[in-house]
Amino acid sequence: MTNVHQIELDHAVTVSHPRLRALHVDSLKSRVIGASAVLALAVAGVFAVLLVAVADLRHATARETRSKDIVATTLTLQKLVLDLETSGRGFAISGNPRLLEPWRAARVALPGRITKLQRLMAEERDRRASVANLVDLIRSYQNDYSIPLIRIARDNPSAARTFLATAEDQRRTEEIRNAFDTFLSTENALATHDTASARRTASRALAVGVAGLVVCGAFALLFGIYLARSIAQPVREVADGATRLAAGDLGTRLRVAGPKEVSELTAAFNVMASSLGQNQAVLATQNEQLRESDRLKSELVSIVSHELRTPLTTILGFTNVLLSRDVDEQSRSHYLGIIDAQARRLSDLVRDFLDVKRIQEGGLELRRELIDMTALLREQARFLFMETESHRLKLDLRDDRLPVVGDKDRLTQVVANLLSNAVKYSPAGGLVEVYGSGRKGVVRVEVRDEGVGIPDELQPRIFTKFFRGDAPERGIPGSGLGLTLAREIVEAHGGQIGFTSAEDEGSTFWIELPAAETLHGDPHADERR
Amino acid sequence: MQPDNEAVSPYCPGGAAGNLSRKGVLGSGRSRERTQTKTILICDDEPSVRELLRIVLGAEYEIDEASDGSEALDLVRELEPDLVVLDVMMPGRSGLDVLAEMRADPALAGIPVIVITAWDHVQPDVLAAGADRFFLKPFEAEELKAAVAELLEEA
Repeated sequence: MTNVHQIELDHAVTVSHPRLRALHVDSLKSRVIGASAVLALAVAGVFAVLLVAVADLRHATARETRSKDIVATTLTLQKLVLDLETSGRGFAISGNPRLLEPWRAARVALPGRITKLQRLMAEERDRRASVANLVDLIRSYQNDYSIPLIRIARDNPSAARTFLATAEDQRRTEEIRNAFDTFLSTENALATHDTASARRTASRALAVGVAGLVVCGAFALLFGIYLARSIAQPVREVADGATRLAAGDLGTRLRVAGPKEVSELTAAFNVMASSLGQNQAVLATQNEQLRESDRLKSELVSIVSHELRTPLTTILGFTNVLLSRDVDEQSRSHYLGIIDAQARRLSDLVRDFLDVKRIQEGGLELRRELIDMTALLREQARFLFMETESHRLKLDLRDDRLPVVGDKDRLTQVVANLLSNAVKYSPAGGLVEVYGSGRKGVVRVEVRDEGVGIPDELQPRIFTKFFRGDAPERGIPGSGLGLTLAREIVEAHGGQIGFTSAEDEGSTFWIELPAAETLHGDPHADERR
Repeated sequence: MQPDNEAVSPYCPGGAAGNLSRKGVLGSGRSRERTQTKTILICDDEPSVRELLRIVLGAEYEIDEASDGSEALDLVRELEPDLVVLDVMMPGRSGLDVLAEMRADPALAGIPVIVITAWDHVQPDVLAAGADRFFLKPFEAEELKAAVAELLEEA
């Protein structure tokens, strides 16, 4: 029984595991690696966006600086041109060479400044024209007007003074001023725009930085939750299940789900729980069987004790009477008869116990000899009714011979048991009928009584060892072994035993044995001739 | 078998002895008073045990027999014996039932009861039910006689 359970368990384990592997390819390991990769990608993405933002910011800042540089250079240039203009005009009017110093300085500084402006404006393709225009105007003023003016002022100061008054000076000065104004206002507008753009870029970079931080934090949090759900949660469930199991709830089963490692763990847990349950059930059954066997044993001890004590009481009692008193011959013979009967009762009891033990150990050995059941029934009926005068006997033997092959002593034991039961379980004066016949290769014997019968509810247990029904209450002696032995013996002969009975109406016990083939090959050949 | 002789005669074998003795008691209250013989009711379903008890006690006491619990109760009420020797395992009503009913009936509660049984495990129940002595089968005839004498003397 234990082996069968063990095999089933092994089977369950080997079957469930490959299926589980197929169902859960995504292992906990791959999940953790995957989640880590996703987190790393997210962080890298956020950093890339941040880098772009920082680059944007640097670019915008550089543009702003250049715009400011352009404006500053242009302003310097404007001042130099103004120096050129005022100093030139002052020298032309006054003729004082000292007043020409700023003019000289401006002339020296101008080419450098112009080059710087041109360099600064090199990248601004759409502004090249206006720069070129401005530079052309300055150079033209310097070369075509201012330098000739100073020459004239040196050579002919009065001519220079008239020259000064000419509209040409005013026009050129006006033109340059306008050009500067236009250029500066455009550059100023561009610088303002660049500054605003740089500020926007800076605040956008800040926003991207904060958003990246939040996104990274959120990813880290999701990763944590994910790990908790896929590892901590199942582990928690297994732990709870194990606690319930430990507390004795062997019906505890876990949901087989989640990543591979966890589902394998829960499946193994379930197999363990069910094997524990089965083992406990097996133990409970064995325990029950042990208890039942223990109960039977103590019942047996009680029965043996009672069945031994009762005949011993009479044997010892009457022996004592015979030994200690003077009794007449008639009484003496009567007492010895009682002692003899009780000693036989003891002897039969011991024989029955040994037989049961032998049968339990599978050692019932049968002789195989040709027996005539008709003769056996006659003999046993005569024996029994020699001892018992209280019952009437009717012997109904249809065949002269009922040959069977078997063990004569054992079959005699069966018949004697059925006959003595018929007497024991029926009231004095009752009729006991014994019937024997051979039909279709089967020898059938019936023993019918008019006794107490067997209640329906007790009938299924009538062949059970030590089962005596309500015999103890009725005061009917016996060991509860007779019918058990009868059945074993009849079945060992290849026959059957059975009964029909109704309470208070009596019982009919029957046995059927295979008829023996006679020398003529037909058990009823004699009968027919 | 003459009733007058019975009180002093040794046991007489024969299946009819019980019936004769009972008739003797019922029909000869006079002889009982005269001889002052105490009466004992023996109750056991085994005829051989009843016969043995009759041999052991019959020499000194007048014996009545019952073969089951119901008969025993009927006879106890009818005859009011001086002592009852009771088996436990009997058809119908058990010896314990008989004992319990006797102890519950004020008219019978005072009658001493000796229980003799082959069931050794019932001793506590038997004594709790009010038995005066407990004997396990097989019993010693002399011990039983001594117990009977002692109980009848007390009574």
